[in-house]
Amino acid sequence: MKKDSKNRFNTPEGYFENFNERLMDRIHKEEMGETGSLIPKSDGFRVPDNYFKEVTPAILSKTKEEKPKVFQLKSYSSFYYAAAAIAAIFILFFNITKNTTTPDINFDDLASTELDAYFEKADLNMTSYEIAEVAAFNETELNDLLYNNLEDDIIIEYMNNNIEDFELEEFNLDNNNDE
Amino acid sequence: MIAEETLVQELQQEESRAKAFEVLVNTYKERLYWHIRRIVLNHDDADDVLQNTFIKVYRNIEKFKGDSKLYSWMYRIATNESLTFLKQKSKKIGVSDQEFKDRMIDNLQADVYYEGSEIQLKLQKALATLPDKQKLVFNMKYYQEMKYNDISEILDTSVGALKTSYHLAVKKIEAYLKEH
Repeated sequence: MKKDSKNRFNTPEGYFENFNERLMDRIHKEEMGETGSLIPKSDGFRVPDNYFKEVTPAILSKTKEEKPKVFQLKSYSSFYYAAAAIAAIFILFFNITKNTTTPDINFDDLASTELDAYFEKADLNMTSYEIAEVAAFNETELNDLLYNNLEDDIIIEYMNNNIEDFELEEFNLDNNNDE
Repeated sequence: MIAEETLVQELQQEESRAKAFEVLVNTYKERLYWHIRRIVLNHDDADDVLQNTFIKVYRNIEKFKGDSKLYSWMYRIATNESLTFLKQKSKKIGVSDQEFKDRMIDNLQADVYYEGSEIQLKLQKALATLPDKQKLVFNMKYYQEMKYNDISEILDTSVGALKTSYHLAVKKIEAYLKEH
């Protein structure tokens, strides 16, 4: 046993001689996880029988199946994309133009109700003569007007609606015709 | 065993590519399989991802510049393929990240190629609580017994940061196993 003359502590025989060896051994064991760890040394995986024999031909056959790649000297894909983009722009442009152009409307397209509404609402300021000038009567229409015998009731109703202070006597019309 | 530089040269020459690729597959299939399996957990998924990884290696071997080791490059492809596979799967199912991880553990119990004991199943549950990086570092160090320098090259992380990640992962897993 080796004694320390100052401290009077003892160390086992050969302690310092093999200290380095023991230290390196412990470091190695720690790195390898061999310090009485709870971690199991194997993880329970296994492979099918003959797997490693059979996997080589399986891999080699797959590499043989591969056909040599053909590389195009010039890639046309970018041209296809550009052409497609230009075509898309044209289609979009024509669609927009087509949708925004208003079609020409002629007189026949107007519904008769719209015309009636216009004449009712608009103040045309036209005299009877002006109307007579623009409204052409043909002979048949004129005859209808002149020779059709209007019912008295219709005439009286018209007068009631359009003439103020209407008095039957003034027009010599009498409902009874007796007086 | 064929030297890595020679293998790379042969892979990059068309006339020797097929033979060299077979050597490559036979050399790395097991290591890559276990790396992938510990990420995706299910055997069938691991098989799909392993095959996709080798096909990507085959397609891109001409672009391999040799800035890193060939196996580090392959591990990187395998890691990316596995993580992408899981993301696509969770997106397809339409569940949250944590819910998807829980479902993976549930499905693991039904996997005929998993024979985990109670403690091993708890370990998988504990691993599911870790961030992806910590889980990766733990699996690569603890189960695949990889060197920190190699993990550093694969995950593009400093050795110091990896040691911290590993230490934290071990503490969290141990705490989980004690609590549950």
